Amino acid sequence: MRRVRLLLLLLLASAAGTSCVPGRADAPEASGRRYFGSLRRAHDQVFRFNLGAEPELRDPSTMAGQPDGRFARMVFEGLTVPDPQTLEPKPGQAYRWERSADGLTYTFHLRPGLRWSDGTALTSNDFLWTWRRVLAPATAARNASTLYSVKNAVAYHDGVIADSTRLGIEAPDDSTFIVRLEHPTAYFLFLTSFYILVPVPRHVIEQHGVRWTLPENLVGNGPFRWTYWRQNDRYEFVPSESYWDRASVKLEKVVAYTVDDLNTSTNLYKSGAIDWNPSGYIPSQYLGYMKPYADYRTGRYHGTYFYSVNVTQPPLDNVWVRRALNLSIDRESIARDLLKGSRDPWGRLTPSGYTGYAGPSPVRFDPERARKAMARAGYPGGKGFPRVSILFNTSEDHRRIAEAIQAMWKRELGIDVELSNQEWGSYLQATTTLHYQIARRSWIGDYLDPNTFLQMLTSGDGNNRSGWSNARYDALIERASETLDPTRRFAIMAEAESLAVDEAPYLPIYHYSTTELLKPWVRGLYLNALDIHPLTRVWIDHDWRQHEPLAGEAPR
Amino acid sequence: MTTYIARRLMLMVPTLLVIATLTFVLMRLAPGGPFMSEKDIPAKAKQELLHRYGLDRPLYAQYFSFLGNAARLEFGPSYKYPDRQVREIILQGFSVSAELGGWALLLSLLIGVPVGTIAAVRQNQPTDFAAMTLALAGVSVPNFVLGPVLVLSFALSFTLLPAALWIGPESRILPVLALCVSYVAYIARLTRAGMLEVLRQDYIRTARAKGLAERVVVLKHALKLGILPVVSYLGPAAARVIMGSIVIEQIFAIPGLGRYLVIGAVNRDYTLVMGVVLFYASFLLVLNLLVDLAYSWLDPRVELA
Repeated sequence: MRRVRLLLLLLLASAAGTSCVPGRADAPEASGRRYFGSLRRAHDQVFRFNLGAEPELRDPSTMAGQPDGRFARMVFEGLTVPDPQTLEPKPGQAYRWERSADGLTYTFHLRPGLRWSDGTALTSNDFLWTWRRVLAPATAARNASTLYSVKNAVAYHDGVIADSTRLGIEAPDDSTFIVRLEHPTAYFLFLTSFYILVPVPRHVIEQHGVRWTLPENLVGNGPFRWTYWRQNDRYEFVPSESYWDRASVKLEKVVAYTVDDLNTSTNLYKSGAIDWNPSGYIPSQYLGYMKPYADYRTGRYHGTYFYSVNVTQPPLDNVWVRRALNLSIDRESIARDLLKGSRDPWGRLTPSGYTGYAGPSPVRFDPERARKAMARAGYPGGKGFPRVSILFNTSEDHRRIAEAIQAMWKRELGIDVELSNQEWGSYLQATTTLHYQIARRSWIGDYLDPNTFLQMLTSGDGNNRSGWSNARYDALIERASETLDPTRRFAIMAEAESLAVDEAPYLPIYHYSTTELLKPWVRGLYLNALDIHPLTRVWIDHDWRQHEPLAGEAPR
Repeated sequence: MTTYIARRLMLMVPTLLVIATLTFVLMRLAPGGPFMSEKDIPAKAKQELLHRYGLDRPLYAQYFSFLGNAARLEFGPSYKYPDRQVREIILQGFSVSAELGGWALLLSLLIGVPVGTIAAVRQNQPTDFAAMTLALAGVSVPNFVLGPVLVLSFALSFTLLPAALWIGPESRILPVLALCVSYVAYIARLTRAGMLEVLRQDYIRTARAKGLAERVVVLKHALKLGILPVVSYLGPAAARVIMGSIVIEQIFAIPGLGRYLVIGAVNRDYTLVMGVVLFYASFLLVLNLLVDLAYSWLDPRVELA
């Protein structure tokens, strides 16, 4: 029997192994590098990649997901565009701008001669109309809060003011667009590159209504024009002739497949059908095996994985209990043993990577202090501690982490925790309505500023979902948003975050990483913290064997 | 005949009504809703979305308007993909699934029936044992194992065929193979069983006695009745092979209909789930009717009543 099982295991391992894992690796190149994927390629400038899950919406004003955003960035362009490497806002549809001394007014100057892909002139009125549309309650934009820093935006979006001309945006002439803010917003120029704020064509929307986003109707202002769509299959794009920087677009065609299965996506990459298997589309159990390959790239991603605690019910309303739970999670061991080093252990809410932001020191595994905290909470040695449960959405990875933490809490604190998994819809329902005790969650920041993480713990924020409310914390976040000086602002935010780490409504676990496969001939596609990849200047280098990878293209 | 068909079609109405009602109730019993997300949607926007799709009305009102719309084959826009009508999504997905399933079914018949026939004619001889062992293996290997093994062998180890996607004729080969193997096996076994029974009957002995060639006896006289079990299996098999190829569609990234059933349920995309379920149910009912008609055509003893 044992032999049969061993044989079966070997068979399975070899089947799984060769499809995704080394074992039968490609022979090394003359350079000594080994590549996971096939190195055969047609001699053209067609870029093929996996867009991921099928985008839900193709109307940028209403979008919310990453695949949707990837689509938007190809077909549309905002006032600014993120630098593909540093994410710094660079001129896009606006070629220059001024900020007033108080940081409250931005004046954007559009490039002369901008056109939509159907040839119609694009003016500052298009931005005016689009931004009003994003904030109009009837649009039901899921990301309308992107514009909340604009004067009167919240009141207008909530229907308190009905007059859209009272919003702090105006277009005094065709090429000037002025934005007045409620309070200084350090990352505002980054927001203007966000896909929610790209202009949408009023003349097309008024003609076609909700169906303006079908390929036969859609008109954009970005580097590419959308030419083909089959749902759950693929999108095709060609360069847009009316784009202001047409000369920089070297690709002749882009094919974006919408493959949501991670194994299939990785198989397509390995067989050479796609040039880029973007982050999140390698099955997690294979990440460890990818390390030796030269076409595997990994870097820090702007997100954290944490357990959210419902602080409204005993025993978890007791801050000492939460501290004890927080201190007894061995993050190092989870990252090293369970995740095979594909993620970094992380002991605070905000991720790394904000220049100038120090933040509080991360929580470390300290079983001694954890036990003391538990005793102080009234449960020495875990005696009398009621059963609590960890909720996670159904997934093997979440289960393994939950099991590890269950064992750590049992070992260090002597408490019993049960695990409960629910499918996605039920899980969302439970977490949004606080029908849970401890729940797995994660958060990916929208822009490179601690605010995108710290905002969600303010009282009553829709993303808080822990019931935690702290007046001092709210006041600090409020004060930070009014502070213009970056050093002081970051100091206030760090103080707020220390408070949140100490009170532990969230128990941080690990820092996300981007993990992707990219063929060595693709140039101009960089790893960055937000996993945002403008394809405008990407090209295929057919002499890639003669060229070393550029700095930033393949950080190991 | 016409009255029979008309009566069968009329009987489908209450069946579909029950299915529609059950689906409606089950979907609404599931926690969550179409407009929940990991990242909060502002209350105002959510309210607007619920209003736009009539989800803020009382449940019974939603139920009756859904029934009325379904009767007119009008399911409205998908909640998840609001720029598309559910009907368009079903038609586009079905054309792909039907092609995939059609090839698989055709291939299963073309291989399964001859293999089963030969096995029956050579009962208990090595050919029979070999064929039936293979068939047993074919029935036992699930397609979620066979699919990846085929990809591994023909797309990754030897790059002969595409690893996935539904573009060009060569992309059809692996998914059709992966899908049809279990059907080939099942059809071969059914044919063999059916043929064994028929070959023992008196009229076959008569046919042989009057000196007909064995080929004519088997192909012309026996096969016509011997494949009756296969024919009755074809109805549900066609429905399953066309709609139930979810796993194969997932492995090979095929833009078929099966996946919408899963995606729709996960996303609580009520209109999409309703549309797909009712479409599937009607399809199955119509196929069953066709099977019964084919039965009476193949075996005159079967009376339609």
